[in-house]
Amino acid sequence: MVRVKSRYLLCEVNVSDRSRLLLLDDRAVAATVKAAVARIHGDYGAALCSIRFSVKYLNAHTGIVFLRFPKKCYRLLWSALPFITCIETRGQKISCFLNCLHVGGTMRTCQKFLIRYNTQQLHRMLPKCKNEEEKQQVQKAILNCSLTGRNKEAFEEESESEEDEEE
Amino acid sequence: MSADLERTPRNLLVSERSSFLDPKNRISSQLVQLHFNYKVCVLLPECSSAPSHLDSALNTFSSFYLIRNLPLYELLDTHFLETVRHGGVSGLSYRTRLDEDNCVALMPNGRLSLSLDKDSFELLGVEGKPSRFNHRAKSRFVVCVDLTDSSMAPGGRGHQRLVTGLTSRLPLKTDFLMSLPAGGGASVQALLSRYDWSEHRPEVISCSLTDLLCPSPLTSDPSSLTSDPSSPLTSDPHRLLEWLGAVHAAVSCENSSSSFLSSLVCPEPNKKLSHALSVSVCGLLSHQDVQKLIQEIRVYLSVSPPGPASWASVTLHGFVDSPVSWGGEHGVLRGGDNFLSLTMFPDQSYLLHLAGGAQDTCPP
Amino acid sequence: MRRADKKDEPAVYQRVVLKNASPYHYLKVCLVVEDDSTRLSAVELKQFIITGLNSLYGEVGAALTFDLLKYDEDTLTALLRVYSRGLVKLWSSLTLLGSYQNQACAFRVLQVSPYLLALTGNSRELQLD
Repeated sequence: MVRVKSRYLLCEVNVSDRSRLLLLDDRAVAATVKAAVARIHGDYGAALCSIRFSVKYLNAHTGIVFLRFPKKCYRLLWSALPFITCIETRGQKISCFLNCLHVGGTMRTCQKFLIRYNTQQLHRMLPKCKNEEEKQQVQKAILNCSLTGRNKEAFEEESESEEDEEE
Repeated sequence: MSADLERTPRNLLVSERSSFLDPKNRISSQLVQLHFNYKVCVLLPECSSAPSHLDSALNTFSSFYLIRNLPLYELLDTHFLETVRHGGVSGLSYRTRLDEDNCVALMPNGRLSLSLDKDSFELLGVEGKPSRFNHRAKSRFVVCVDLTDSSMAPGGRGHQRLVTGLTSRLPLKTDFLMSLPAGGGASVQALLSRYDWSEHRPEVISCSLTDLLCPSPLTSDPSSLTSDPSSPLTSDPHRLLEWLGAVHAAVSCENSSSSFLSSLVCPEPNKKLSHALSVSVCGLLSHQDVQKLIQEIRVYLSVSPPGPASWASVTLHGFVDSPVSWGGEHGVLRGGDNFLSLTMFPDQSYLLHLAGGAQDTCPP
Repeated sequence: MRRADKKDEPAVYQRVVLKNASPYHYLKVCLVVEDDSTRLSAVELKQFIITGLNSLYGEVGAALTFDLLKYDEDTLTALLRVYSRGLVKLWSSLTLLGSYQNQACAFRVLQVSPYLLALTGNSRELQLD
């Protein structure tokens, strides 16, 4: 069996004003990435970016994006991501930058990483809680994800079981 | 994908240091293995005009013939074969491109080498080998015949087969460059009279250079180049070859690193030479003449007073479209360059660089 | 980039074989423009090649360093030097350069070699007529 290999980049969209994250949609993110690649790597990069590139998942609340690139050229395309300074959506410009958290061979490994990462973030939030109610909420959330191993966010399931982390 | 973009075809550079006095030096056999010499460039530093004996060696390169539309079976003619058997006849098809056309080469030792595309090879019907540089699909074939062999004597089986192949099945015609041994002109008169031919003298261009920047090891201590392997010019021969190339191509080396156009500089440390003489001879050159020239330069170096720049460089370019080079098959993938560069010093030591392209065997 | 064969005898004889070690590649190119009277200066030609690199390989490609060693304004022939790893990028963008100031144009790559010396003796230039 041969399968077409991809690399999934788990990126975090960093904005100054978190409420504006809700304006994001996957088409806007894809268009921004394509434009950045075309600017940095020209027609050659744009051509590479036109095959099998897609935004697989976008969480507008946490600003988490999964980008799928062909494995052959993901390094080249990745190198264009730091040049993204704003995403244009619904006629508005959201200035932001992308922070790549993880590179995985399947959606599944990225999902596992994301759960671990979110748990970590919750742990870091815990001491910063201002009142008891908040604290309890965070504790509950931590319990939630460590018990079921499922992120509380609805997750688009990709049935890819094999792990493929080799370079 | 980005790794593929950075890859270039293979190239080989052999760099040798040795001495003419070393009994094991192979310089003359290495010179011969270039087979077809197109151009020889000489660079003499601190010299404004060549001394008379050197000048005569440069101007007495033997002339060569160009025969237009020569049918190849004429090379198997009885009289011509007689001339070939005496040795020293060499010839090469002219204005044929090795990567597109059928090419022919006749070597001084009497071997005839044909590089043919697949259709022509199958039409000819003579035993041959697929070219070493075929990729998967065999599209080019090499037929190699020894004209001095007994089976190639007129009437022999091999001879007949090749003649019928070249007359009836594959009537190949090509413009042919030919150089003959001294006094061999008469023996081919009969062949020449049947075709449109012309005789050409190798073209000599001499150019006097002034204020030439030269890498210091060459000016101050040339012997360090052959005795000390860690000298920068010896350990990285590409720098020396680049500088020599810049001199011969008349490219300015006086650039600053911030220049927009070019940042080519002469290897550091460097020194200015007040005079230099660059002479080039161009045509189908015979090995005897080249050897004679090198001999004369050795004499010139040994008699000239050891001045600030006592060395000389000779560059010998081979024909790009010759089917043979460096004793093996030659191909043109991208450049087809085959040349050698010889830097000589008064103590009879020398530096020799032999270069081969992507489709060459390793130089000897 | 490796030395394949090294033989050092007690005498002065030494032989080193260098494989793919050339740091640079050299190209001899000629620009053909629809209108024969078009003239470019050396700076304009280099700028034109950089625009080609920019459109095919973007800003990263435009940052590729190459040198214009020699340029003949009458024949629009130039000698270029580029780091070996940039050869394919430069060559492909030259190929895809198709118009200069709204005129059709093309680059003819006459010779490519890892040695500058090889560009001074190209037997395909032999003219005997």
